[in-house]
Amino acid sequence: MNTNFELKLQAWLDGELSAAEAQRIGQEITGDAEASQIVAELRSIKTALAGNEPVLTVPETREFYWSKIERQIEREARSPRTVPPPRVAAWRRWLTPLSGFAAMACMLYLAVRPPALPTFDEISSTGEGMEAVTFHDQSAGMTVVWLADPSEQAQPIQTPAVQTPDAGDTEAGMD
Amino acid sequence: MSTQQDKSALSDVDLVRAAQKGDMVAFEEIVARHRDKIYARAYSMMRNEDEALDLSQEAWVKGWQRLVQFQGDSSFVTWMTRIVINLCLDQLRKHKRQRAESIEALEEESGGVERYMPVTNTNPTAGLERTELRRRIDRALAQLSKEHRTVLVLHEFEELEYKEIAKRMGCSIGTVMSRLFYARRRMASLLAGLKRESAE
Repeated sequence: MNTNFELKLQAWLDGELSAAEAQRIGQEITGDAEASQIVAELRSIKTALAGNEPVLTVPETREFYWSKIERQIEREARSPRTVPPPRVAAWRRWLTPLSGFAAMACMLYLAVRPPALPTFDEISSTGEGMEAVTFHDQSAGMTVVWLADPSEQAQPIQTPAVQTPDAGDTEAGMD
Repeated sequence: MSTQQDKSALSDVDLVRAAQKGDMVAFEEIVARHRDKIYARAYSMMRNEDEALDLSQEAWVKGWQRLVQFQGDSSFVTWMTRIVINLCLDQLRKHKRQRAESIEALEEESGGVERYMPVTNTNPTAGLERTELRRRIDRALAQLSKEHRTVLVLHEFEELEYKEIAKRMGCSIGTVMSRLFYARRRMASLLAGLKRESAE
């Protein structure tokens, strides 16, 4: 016998078929001895089980059984789980992946963006009444600033202290 | 302050109402009244005394925590039974994840040996007194696979429809029908075997 038909027989017995299908299957059962036998077997089990669930009792005293429940209730009441309200939970559900995406976008931007600092070697500026010359050597990570008051003799301010460039020395050294 | 004696005369409805207002003595009385039924349901699904005890007690803890959600659409014991069933189904899923895919597990839907069993011609439970019938049903249930037993318990004892069982077990209606069919056939065979055993 086909499995689908067997399952239809069972569904017929359990009242799970539509009225039209139940009528059709009912007619088939009447004219099919094998189908009738299967239905009889299924029915005998269904009838035997109905209302005959094994009766069991808790194998502990009332007080002992309750004491574990009470302790658990008290324990959980003392340390309530911080369940966010539904609206917060909904926001969190969206914000979590979004924050990850935002972090990735930031990292990507930092990796591909042009350098923030200009790569010039020298910046010069003069203030009113003061003369300032700045030298920046990016490869050495060093900046030298000269401040000079025209009324006085120029005094170099160095950070850190470095030798002032002297073109004459360099040229002399190349000989 | 209320005592257990005060509460024992109250109906379930009144006890639930008092428990919903935080009266734990009232809740303890409800537990005492229905603990056997909740434990029996857990045991019929798990077939393990310790697990049934733990799960039934966990169900009562959850019942207390969710008391405000109980609207009285069904009886309180029916509501509690649904809670313990869900806990048992969760536990059975954990068991299944831990269990390696066996031939037995794969054959549950296709019927395994039940597929080839001859139909039992005589009613294997006819003429039995109720206590003996229940004892035999218990023995036969113990020999079913977890999947077959679960579907049988939910359909025959809880009287749930195919659709509802499928929803709770997280499977298709076809799977429920198939499991139920082979569970019944296996029960018929086991009960017939017990009948032969007692006749010898």
